[in-house]
Amino acid sequence: LDILVKMITAALFTIFIQNTVYERALGVNVLLYSARKKTHVLGYSFGICYITTVSSIATFFLDKLFVENEYYEMFMPLLYVAVVGVIYVITLIFFWRFFPRVFYKIKNYVHLSVFNATVLGALFLNPQLGGDLFSYIGYGIGTGLGFMLASALLFSAGKSLSCDSIPPSFRGMPVMMVYIGILSLALSAFIGYSTAA
Amino acid sequence: LKRKKLIVKDHTLTDGLFRQNIVLMSALVTAPVIAAATTLLKSAALCVGFSLVSFFTILVCRFIPHKIVYTLRIILYALTAAVIYMPVWLLLRFMFGIELVHSLGVYLPILVTNSLIMAKTEVRFYLRDFKTMNIEVFLFILGFDAVCLLMGGIREILAHGTLAGQPFSFPFVLPAAETTFGGFILLGLISAFCRAVYFQIKNRSSKKTMTELIKER
Repeated sequence: LDILVKMITAALFTIFIQNTVYERALGVNVLLYSARKKTHVLGYSFGICYITTVSSIATFFLDKLFVENEYYEMFMPLLYVAVVGVIYVITLIFFWRFFPRVFYKIKNYVHLSVFNATVLGALFLNPQLGGDLFSYIGYGIGTGLGFMLASALLFSAGKSLSCDSIPPSFRGMPVMMVYIGILSLALSAFIGYSTAA
Repeated sequence: LKRKKLIVKDHTLTDGLFRQNIVLMSALVTAPVIAAATTLLKSAALCVGFSLVSFFTILVCRFIPHKIVYTLRIILYALTAAVIYMPVWLLLRFMFGIELVHSLGVYLPILVTNSLIMAKTEVRFYLRDFKTMNIEVFLFILGFDAVCLLMGGIREILAHGTLAGQPFSFPFVLPAAETTFGGFILLGLISAFCRAVYFQIKNRSSKKTMTELIKER
């Protein structure tokens, strides 16, 4: 039960308090792309959730091994990219062997949900947030669910954000940035705010 | 064909800087600008990191054979970027100091999977000849650097009332400018302003309405 509580706490923390999009601004380009279609929202969120969760398990052991090293920050990206790359290839081989239809459907854009700032950023944040293996898994799941929340919110506002009443120069990316900014402001309430004395 | 070539040549000079600016127009690389470019010095460090990692990665990866399947090629791009990141990290530490590099947090290492490397290479840069590619990459990087420095400068003035650490006479201080939501909103406003200017220039030359130009885009 302790393990489950740890994982849920870590996941909730990354969904609401340290949301990769609203609090960290990671993977905005993937978010803008995935929020165009309902199937993209689910597909990209699942892809990100899977990769961050599985990669977090591997990077937990790497972090434990190298955390004391002065130059870990320098070669951290190389190790993390290698981990993500290996998981990506193994997963694609699995799909190609057992689910060829799904493989041919996803092979052209699956890399977008794997090699992006959300995945790599989430892995870099794990050691900063700290905790044990189960917390890492919780952070991984939370990153995917947090991305799904952000993506669903943007998707649901899609029609309103592209209507004719919006000034032409604001249409598209600018209004989406302002919209994400306002949602980010709302979610920052979870962290709390105190006025300076 | 000549006309087509001429159009491509014309756009080569304006795409990276303005028409397809990777921050303001296509939002391909936004995280460092929104979350980490809160002062001019931080922006400068980000610009150096982004420019060196992106330029040399794109240059080196040009020589990766296209016979290798895309799935593996994309991993090789990211691995190359991660290798190039190592000397760049040391250089940044030497140039800006360890504290500033630390203050950039995750926004420095995530540059190894930035969309200029992971997406633009396949759909644009590697379809050009070597010389044109280098010019285009340089201009796209310059476009990012300009926006990053602009955002860093504006946010430092708004949030701290200074510019590059020097006092800047500004009537009020707006601490929210250095938060993530402040970054999103400011980027949206700057992007809208640039689009308005772009549409205005286009409108003058083609006599089309702004809505027609948006539909064309």
